[in-house]
Amino acid sequence: MQVDLPRFVRRLFSQEAAFAFSIAILVVGLVAAYLAWRWTRGVLTDSSFADAVEGTPLERTVRAVGFSTVGLIASLVAVFVYVLAIVLALNVVQLLDIQLFWTRVTSYLPRLLIAALAVIVGITAGYRAELAVSERLRSVKLPEVAFLGDLVKYSIFYVAALVALAQVGVSTDALLILLGAFAFGLVFLGGLAFRHLLAAAAAGIYLLLTEPYAIGDEVRIDDRRGIVQEVDVFVTRVESEGEEYIIPNQEVFQSGVVRVRG
Amino acid sequence: MSALDDLVDDVVADIDAVLLFSPSAGTYDAFATDDADLPVIVIGQENAVDAETFVELPLEFTDVGGRLRFGLEGAAQQGLLDEGDTVACATSMFGDGMDTVVRVRADQYSPTGVYDLFVNSRPEPDVVRDVFEVCIELGKKGQKGKQVGALFVVGDAGKVMNKSRPLSYNPFEKSHVHVGDPIVNVMLKEFSRLDGAFVISDSGKIVSAYRYLEPSAEGVDIPKGLGARHMAAGAITRDTNAIAIVLSESDGMVRAFKGGELVIELDPEEY
Repeated sequence: MQVDLPRFVRRLFSQEAAFAFSIAILVVGLVAAYLAWRWTRGVLTDSSFADAVEGTPLERTVRAVGFSTVGLIASLVAVFVYVLAIVLALNVVQLLDIQLFWTRVTSYLPRLLIAALAVIVGITAGYRAELAVSERLRSVKLPEVAFLGDLVKYSIFYVAALVALAQVGVSTDALLILLGAFAFGLVFLGGLAFRHLLAAAAAGIYLLLTEPYAIGDEVRIDDRRGIVQEVDVFVTRVESEGEEYIIPNQEVFQSGVVRVRG
Repeated sequence: MSALDDLVDDVVADIDAVLLFSPSAGTYDAFATDDADLPVIVIGQENAVDAETFVELPLEFTDVGGRLRFGLEGAAQQGLLDEGDTVACATSMFGDGMDTVVRVRADQYSPTGVYDLFVNSRPEPDVVRDVFEVCIELGKKGQKGKQVGALFVVGDAGKVMNKSRPLSYNPFEKSHVHVGDPIVNVMLKEFSRLDGAFVISDSGKIVSAYRYLEPSAEGVDIPKGLGARHMAAGAITRDTNAIAIVLSESDGMVRAFKGGELVIELDPEEY
């Protein structure tokens, strides 16, 4: 499919000219790489990407060696373009087994770039997600809750690593199965653990929408009789003399409510 | 200037603790790392300096007396201060920055229960604070520039509902509005048109409006000169475990009652 560039150049010029031509390709490649670097940098700085990566550990690590994430991505693109130019130049002077090298590199190089991008985006998104989760949970004063943020972060890292590894051609079947097992476990065990809460919430939503009994009504649920003090999604609080019953809403549903009319 | 130095030394001599009201990080660090072995208690709306001993102010008390009172009562209730302790309070009286140091004996005045009102009442502290804010806002805005009055009964809603009767249809029936919801601010103006009391549950749900309270008013001791609304508020808090927050129509003050007694009095114009 490719134009047979080396032979074409040789037919037009001499062997020496081919060498000069390859040098020219190198120079053009250098300029193109610089332009690509500038363009990527400009686009990323103008978009909100620079704000999104601000303050993530990746950005900090990169900053420590005098770089920025935007600069890193721009450099990656530039290197990609320049390597392309070098390959082209080598091709022209016929220093390598061109055919084989060419097909390999052209198919491999973009995937390597995508893998690198996947890692960068994965790390950034992971830390952002952890931050968002921990921000949400800040009002919950329980140290163990921080675990949730870590879980989200490492899940995203894992998926990013999967994408990157798949791109560079490492077999990821085993890791995919692991991911599947993890997702299944999360859904299954989550459902198992929360089934009472889910049942209570389903009943609670009905109770809140239709209000068969309201705050201030005197009710009897099973053998617990008292005045309704509070109805929320999960529980109903019923208070009698000196005792407050906190009754899960599905229990209200299962055993029914007696409204005592005074 | 030695006379002045002596005076300041006298104010802070032999104190048992320092109360810092909303200190800056620098001020707090200076006190915390000081090796004088003096307990430092931070009091503010949020614990911005991560102090170990902290008393949360529910409102931004503009009146210094009220602020000191709340801080001292809070510190005493949390067991940070003993009776008879003498403390120095550093706070700001005018604008930003600490400009005032006050020497107080912790038992120098009888506690009014203002800390108790927020923290040890049946409703949650956030709910009490939200209702206060609604009242203050309503007191500032009024209705078309005219003073309005309002009565909020907070907590123990089941019992309050059984000790009151509806004056009209309850506009909050089958609705799930909580004080502190953004919509409540929009409804503020409408609130002032409704007669009767608002009933709010422990978790802050607005249970009903247009309630006519029917507690027995025996033994309610509120200052003379306050009207029927305040009397009803005082009486319902004596009969139930609720607290009541009243916006006065005649003098525009916000007053809170608990256990049949007036606990706190605020002027909305100062907030």
